[in-house]
Amino acid sequence: MKTAPAASARWSGVSRALLMAGGLLLVWAAVAYAQLPEPQAHNFPWGGNRAAVWVVGQLHILFAAFILGAPIFIVISEFLGWKGADARYERLAKEVTKVTVILYSMTALTGGLFIFVLLATYGQFTIWLVNHFFAVFAIIYPLLFIGETIVLYLYWYTWDALQGPKKMRHIALGVLLNIIGIITLFVIDGPTSFMNTPVKATEGGLDLRTYIETTATLWDKINNYSWWPLNIHRTVGNVVFGGFIAGLIAAYMYMASKTDEERAFYDWFGFVGNMIGVGALLLLPFAGYLLAYELCDYDASICPYMMADQLSMFFEMQGAMVGLIFLASNYYIWLSMKRIEGLEHVRMSAATMLLMITVPVVFMLMWTKWPIPDIMSLVAPAAYVVVWLIIAKITPWTVSSQTMVKVAFLMVIVGNAIWMTPHAFVATQALAPDDGSLSLPHGEVSLRFVTVSWDMLALMPAKNAAAFTLVFVTIVNYILYNRALRHGRIVWGKIDFISQFVLVFLAFSAIWTMGLMGAVRELTRKYFHVFNLQYDFTNESFTPTLSYSSWLITGITVTFYIIVSFAIILTLKTGKEKAHAASPKAMPAVAGAE
Amino acid sequence: MPPSRSLISLLISRLAMGIVAAIVFVIAARLMHFPQVFQIMFVLYAFLGTLVYILLDAPPVTRLDGLKAVVALIAFYAVISGVFIAGANMLPQYDPRVEKGKIDKIVKPKMAATEKGRVEELLKRTEELNAHSQAILKRLETLGGASVKNIESSVKGKESGGPKASGASGDLVALGKEQYELQECYNCHKVGGKGGLKKRGPHLDNVGNLMKPEELKEKLLNPRSYMAEGFEKEYNKKLMPDKYKELMSDPEIDQLVVYLSSLKDSTVETPKPIKK
Repeated sequence: MKTAPAASARWSGVSRALLMAGGLLLVWAAVAYAQLPEPQAHNFPWGGNRAAVWVVGQLHILFAAFILGAPIFIVISEFLGWKGADARYERLAKEVTKVTVILYSMTALTGGLFIFVLLATYGQFTIWLVNHFFAVFAIIYPLLFIGETIVLYLYWYTWDALQGPKKMRHIALGVLLNIIGIITLFVIDGPTSFMNTPVKATEGGLDLRTYIETTATLWDKINNYSWWPLNIHRTVGNVVFGGFIAGLIAAYMYMASKTDEERAFYDWFGFVGNMIGVGALLLLPFAGYLLAYELCDYDASICPYMMADQLSMFFEMQGAMVGLIFLASNYYIWLSMKRIEGLEHVRMSAATMLLMITVPVVFMLMWTKWPIPDIMSLVAPAAYVVVWLIIAKITPWTVSSQTMVKVAFLMVIVGNAIWMTPHAFVATQALAPDDGSLSLPHGEVSLRFVTVSWDMLALMPAKNAAAFTLVFVTIVNYILYNRALRHGRIVWGKIDFISQFVLVFLAFSAIWTMGLMGAVRELTRKYFHVFNLQYDFTNESFTPTLSYSSWLITGITVTFYIIVSFAIILTLKTGKEKAHAASPKAMPAVAGAE
Repeated sequence: MPPSRSLISLLISRLAMGIVAAIVFVIAARLMHFPQVFQIMFVLYAFLGTLVYILLDAPPVTRLDGLKAVVALIAFYAVISGVFIAGANMLPQYDPRVEKGKIDKIVKPKMAATEKGRVEELLKRTEELNAHSQAILKRLETLGGASVKNIESSVKGKESGGPKASGASGDLVALGKEQYELQECYNCHKVGGKGGLKKRGPHLDNVGNLMKPEELKEKLLNPRSYMAEGFEKEYNKKLMPDKYKELMSDPEIDQLVVYLSSLKDSTVETPKPIKK
């Protein structure tokens, strides 16, 4: 006889499958619609066509980022749980998968909606793009999507069946899910990156338009300048995103926990989510730098447009957000450390502290003297760090963990202040007023090694040194945390309650920053749909203000949060209550009984 | 209660330290001639540091359950949303009207050149002609035959005139300067002390004395044809985009060349061009 929860689960599975099939049908219908001649553009009644595409597209990317990022650490967590016989990892993996399955259908639905809104509002261009990537939109992407759906459902519904000796088969399914997910991401990155950097003819002297329209193959169009940097950036970004959303799930569940046991589990869950998020976050500035570098290498006029012209204040805002994220993630590490019994005995070399203090200035000077990618730009900083680490090993002077953490926070603030320092506080840097009323003071001092001036703070070597400082401080804090763990005893579930708000803040800020930088990447196309190739003839092809963008990004983030919060509550909280109601009361069991 | 007392004393001590730090920053920034806007930035960082050091040593927060936790979460979301929006609004805003004007000048001629653009132009002119003929009919009905010839000639005059090429006989230097602005050459080059923050492209103040118009045109159409002295690294990195021959029309390039040729300020050191 079928039980009520089993029937309910089946119905929920059917409804989700229908939702996804609907989404997929929308994609195919859109591809078919794209074959019709010259559709007339519709005007979206609220906020205009650009805002409509922005909202739906961004929502789709946020859901997609989670369902692609979460499985990466789900399968790692499942593997760790199986390898180390730690049931917490298994439970973490299963709970995040539950939420992923729900959000998967939202990804399909918003994806279909995105294509439809695009066709209705920018029909002529969408048709052009779909026709240039016909095999991608009509065959490859839908097939990958179907494959991913099948594997995701297999992964979820075989979880309990493939246990014990069959566990490796289940983990293999998870790996397959990730492979398909990553290929799907890479495939759809093809048209996306093509719009930023359409491939140019390397020989034959063909102009861009003639080459794209007559000679370039599908592979040429996919394998463009920014394709790999975008692939890397989005893969790392998705892991960050997945980690912080896992932290959000943990925070909600911690707040809703009724027992110490539950709180201990969700405290640990939040810690793992944050660690994965922060771990991947350390790579993100460099992946972003690589993407920006390739964009600038494709067309040098993109660089000043981003850093010195219309988008310069977007990068100021990004600097502020990155600073807040690093402050919050280090604060969470500090709160985790504070509840370790025996922390007061943990000490660190004073040389490490001095290294941390000197990194921003010394690295800035080194990278000014030897700009990246000069080989010395790698050798000199590496040698500097190694020398200090040797001094740390051989000298007896140490500082307490408290002092170390306080200095580390000071350096996060200093690093962020350097990151935030512009050449001038004006929206268009190159056209700053001559009187210097808004610009950094001039005046150079020539040292033996390099010439220094305040202007240096606004240049890339300083920004790179600031990014390195933030990453370095976070690594030192984690080392300190691990040392504290080795010397003391952690009490899970007893973390300061404010830490849960830190997890919520990290997820919210990460999503907001993703929205901001996504907008920047899209806006670098300026008044083109495809940079230098397809003009945007609508009245909305101008760069929006940062103010307008911030309202839109906040609206999108809040909408995404509301949906994700419902998904978490629906799957984990109510699911748990149902399971409690359906399960018999705990009874003493006879030893050896099944 | 002891915890609240410790929190108050922590707040007082940290705020005092924050204020002292802010004052020191402002004095140091003034001595080093930082403009006011940077001084404000330093003060904000002093207060960010104060907040961080208060949080580091603050006593633990009491756990919230049920509705209280939900309300606290919603309030928290409202606060961070407000802070992010306020932060973005506090920064200088680019005026889209500036860019809209530029886009109109760049994109509209391209639009007119497309099939859709031509159809739209034809439709617009048909509508105009229709309006004229309606006006003629109305006046024919009200006026006598003598006026008809005048009306016919006025209508013909308007139709044959069509849209005149604006500024065709105007100042080519001014048109070239407009192209310089539209193509945002100022992002990499300096003229009259404006533009080119980083070392990307050479100053152009005296380029009219250093290059002939045909050489300037060659450089615009093929950026590899000349290299500015001292800009070997930038030349090798191909910083000058190779796209203007595709994005600009011949008259636009000619206008830009005329403007560049007019730049003859020999008092400004301008790198010499080297033929490649």
